[in-house]
Amino acid sequence: MMTAGALLRAMQRIRAFEEALAGRPDHGFQLFSMGQEAVAVGVAAALGADDQLLTSGRSIAAALARGVDAGAIMAELLGKEAGTNRGRGGRGHLAQPAAGFFGAHAVVGGNLTIAAGVALALATRGRGIAACMFGDGACGAGALHETLNVAAVWRLPLLLVCDNNGYSISTPQAMALAPQPLAALAQPFRIPAVTVDGMDVEAVREAAVALAARIRNGEGPAFLECRSARFATHSTSTRETRAADELAADRARDPIVAQARRMQARGELDAARLAAWDEEARVAAVAALAFADAAAYPASGSVLEDVQ
Amino acid sequence: MSGSAAATRVYFREAIARALSEEMARDPALVLFGQDIGRFGGAYREFTGLFERYGAQRVRDTPVAEAAMIGVGVGAAAAGLRALVSITYMDFLMLGLDPLVNYAAKARYKTGGQLRVPLVVKATAGARGQGVAHSQCIEAWLMSVPGLVVVAPATAADAYGLLKSALRHDGPVLFVDHKRLYPTAGELPAEETLVPFGRARIARGGSDVTIAAHAYTVRVALAAAEELAREGVDCEVIDLRSLAPLDVDTLVMSVARTGALVTVEEGQATCGVGVEVAARVREARDGEPFRVARVAALPAPVSSNPVLEAACLPDAARVGAAVRALLS
Repeated sequence: MMTAGALLRAMQRIRAFEEALAGRPDHGFQLFSMGQEAVAVGVAAALGADDQLLTSGRSIAAALARGVDAGAIMAELLGKEAGTNRGRGGRGHLAQPAAGFFGAHAVVGGNLTIAAGVALALATRGRGIAACMFGDGACGAGALHETLNVAAVWRLPLLLVCDNNGYSISTPQAMALAPQPLAALAQPFRIPAVTVDGMDVEAVREAAVALAARIRNGEGPAFLECRSARFATHSTSTRETRAADELAADRARDPIVAQARRMQARGELDAARLAAWDEEARVAAVAALAFADAAAYPASGSVLEDVQ
Repeated sequence: MSGSAAATRVYFREAIARALSEEMARDPALVLFGQDIGRFGGAYREFTGLFERYGAQRVRDTPVAEAAMIGVGVGAAAAGLRALVSITYMDFLMLGLDPLVNYAAKARYKTGGQLRVPLVVKATAGARGQGVAHSQCIEAWLMSVPGLVVVAPATAADAYGLLKSALRHDGPVLFVDHKRLYPTAGELPAEETLVPFGRARIARGGSDVTIAAHAYTVRVALAAAEELAREGVDCEVIDLRSLAPLDVDTLVMSVARTGALVTVEEGQATCGVGVEVAARVREARDGEPFRVARVAALPAPVSSNPVLEAACLPDAARVGAAVRALLS
């Protein structure tokens, strides 16, 4: 079980990574997870070496939380051959199956049925579970309903994680989705579902660990809704549509600050150590950026490699 | 009788069932997904005996949900299994194009070679009285997807040999089985004979005109060639078999002899297989002139009304008329 400090440090590394990347707009837009780190870190804390994690396009936090090398992720996001996907996937398609990160897929809802298939393959092999993170935007798509159904019928070892940040780009959830809470979507399929505060990394971890244990026990799929908040715009090239006071209220729920305060209140962390961890995270992000900067772009002559 | 003395005559469905059964025995990772493919044995009885032999874990009846069927097959294949997904009517392939086109066909490329998707989507195409949403041939749509192989056999031997090649390929393959071929029979060699991708078959040798067809329209083309032979027109009929990759060399060699090309397909002419065939031959012929005509379904939905269905589809008479017009 990851300690409270390990959870905090994982979130700090993600935030520092994205802040470093934010200074590099030269490779097109990025899909940041700022504010949603606790969901990725809490879910990853419930997964082991035999498990696979799949995500939506918003995947930087999940890839880092799963232990994929930060330099390789940064290189991928900047289009370099040294990237996880040799620079071919880029933002929205990070993948390193050997590390248990089966990968992101940037079609909304597009990784859900794939995850069910991965779960079936793992079940056939006899070990491991699949977890799939998706945004609330995917909850209106047929793919989720088809996945819930087939996963329930076949009792697949699949943890469905809805990272519910409340918006599909600019569209508020109330304008696009009828079910409330979103965890209720699992009910007709008799799939156990839990809704937690996605800004509370320990709450996410505890729920994910409990549901993963059921799944490992052969009880079939489970659904975890994490209510989170996206601090940045949908992507770095998207306009902000939310009111300043709403954003300020969201940022006041910063999962990193919350976890640090909780640990300080429990006497597990002092200001000096917190600052040291912050510095470590910043140094690691700078190193990842330096690695990516030093790496080469793919040769244009390689464009037809690995097509077929 | 052609082939060795031990060749057997089998129905198209038997060739498919045999290929599936042999490949399932050969590769324990192969899992089949489809509607009514278990005890029922498949809509065309092409899965007969597989459920009894290999069980419910490997011959999986699915919900009626093509997007999930293909998505689950893709995910399972990418994660270490090998999958065949059966789509009963090619029209419903449209519901599963996202996992096939956006994921399976791109997985190897977008992951820098980390993932492979050994997947076959078997989609049953063609019109046989079932109406506007159960009759279409949309294989031409898929020919332009990088990373995707598209094959469409016309004979039992090619159904067997191409399906085997598809089930051993490490990327996604669309296998088109035309439903009017199911009642047909053909010879299957006694020895296991795989058919490679990208290799056309000369179904009938000739010198006056090249007719390029695939799947059921090969039979249409051969029937037209018989009629034209009585008029003294010697047709060469090329069974494309593999649409992506396309065997351009065989087409070019034929057209170099005949100087005339007629393409036949049951899908639409616009952006159809024939357009690609003609353009590829034209590029390869490097300016050498040849005449070309396309025969395809008329630009209308294919009705279940037998009069309108027959009016819409290419038949031997229309192929014959196209050849005569081209050569006149």
